[in-house]
Amino acid sequence: MMELFVSEGNPHCLKVLAALEVTGVQCGVHFINHEEKVVPFLSRPALPALLLPSKQHIFSSNTICRYLFELNGPESSDQCNQWLEWEATVLQPALLRALHMAVLQGKGSEVSKVLQSPLNVLDQSLGKGNMSYLTGKDVSVADIVLWGALHPVLFNSSLALSDHKFVKAWFDRVAAMSGCQSAAQKVLQGKGLEAMKSYMQRQPAPQSRDTQPCNS
Amino acid sequence: MALRELASLEKYLGLKKPNKYSTQGDKKVPVLQNNNAPPLVGLVTIACHLVKEAKRSELLGCGAEARAVVQQWLEYRVTKLDGHAKEDIKTILKDLNLYLQDKVYLAGNQFTLADVLMYYGIHSIILDLAVQEKEQYMNVTRWFDHIQHHPGVRHHLPPVAVLRNRLYTSRHH
Repeated sequence: MMELFVSEGNPHCLKVLAALEVTGVQCGVHFINHEEKVVPFLSRPALPALLLPSKQHIFSSNTICRYLFELNGPESSDQCNQWLEWEATVLQPALLRALHMAVLQGKGSEVSKVLQSPLNVLDQSLGKGNMSYLTGKDVSVADIVLWGALHPVLFNSSLALSDHKFVKAWFDRVAAMSGCQSAAQKVLQGKGLEAMKSYMQRQPAPQSRDTQPCNS
Repeated sequence: MALRELASLEKYLGLKKPNKYSTQGDKKVPVLQNNNAPPLVGLVTIACHLVKEAKRSELLGCGAEARAVVQQWLEYRVTKLDGHAKEDIKTILKDLNLYLQDKVYLAGNQFTLADVLMYYGIHSIILDLAVQEKEQYMNVTRWFDHIQHHPGVRHHLPPVAVLRNRLYTSRHH
């Protein structure tokens, strides 16, 4: 039996709970505090965390989602891998800054500026192939991961997506899946950004060097 | 930097025909130009693609659980190790040291792509460690030494001297 450890108000937990619901994989789910240490070798608390039957820990949300999808399906494709890597290395640093502003500084209006560039990338890609989902006609782990990442900033339209109509259509399509709705309810409890306050307070402030061009 | 890694990886995998690469953005993210398919972007994505091209998928882990562990460390490499702040180095070394306490390789007993990319990514940190620090993070340096001696892996990187006998012995096992 596998065990999944998550905490309320943690946006990364949204992805794994949605992946769990969508794939229907059997797994024990435990809601614990943000500060609780699950992974024995990490000095900082890391949630979500998945304890595999082999007693090894997986401590990043994208790898957990990918594993859940691969348990009942094919290995993820190059295109899927590329979206997951982009999410972790490009989108997440921007989202961290956006959530920091929106949740802790009350500057929700700045969010669209911070997310402009990654949303452009997403919109161009979705528009180019005229595809329903990121990698084609069917939902993949990439859709669940990116939807989960963007849900906290996009769900209540605090960010107008009028410039990104392909993103909007895709986001609404994924959000309509019952697994995604129930995961969002579990993690955010219908409280929106407010639900993430205690989680965001525990995150290191976004590094300013990320916001400035390196060639200064 | 990433492009040199990918060139070394190609040699390690014994790929005969070198691929064409470019980079994207300030962070110089590698892009693999594909003749008959869209370009692939990102170090891990490209590295996994090369492994499959070389028909060496055992390097991505055998079985779903091992594959997850390999992916975990590949992701760690590009999210935590790349672009780390100076004050994070100690945490990275401490965590890895504890993790590697009872393991030969990152995925346990099997050498995988995770070892190769973590080795390339952590090389500059290990190079800068003082002798005493190398002893403090003994499991990391043992693993590192193992990988740098793994046939065909080191290529573009200078070897790092790792003492196999402790200088600062505080206690005996």
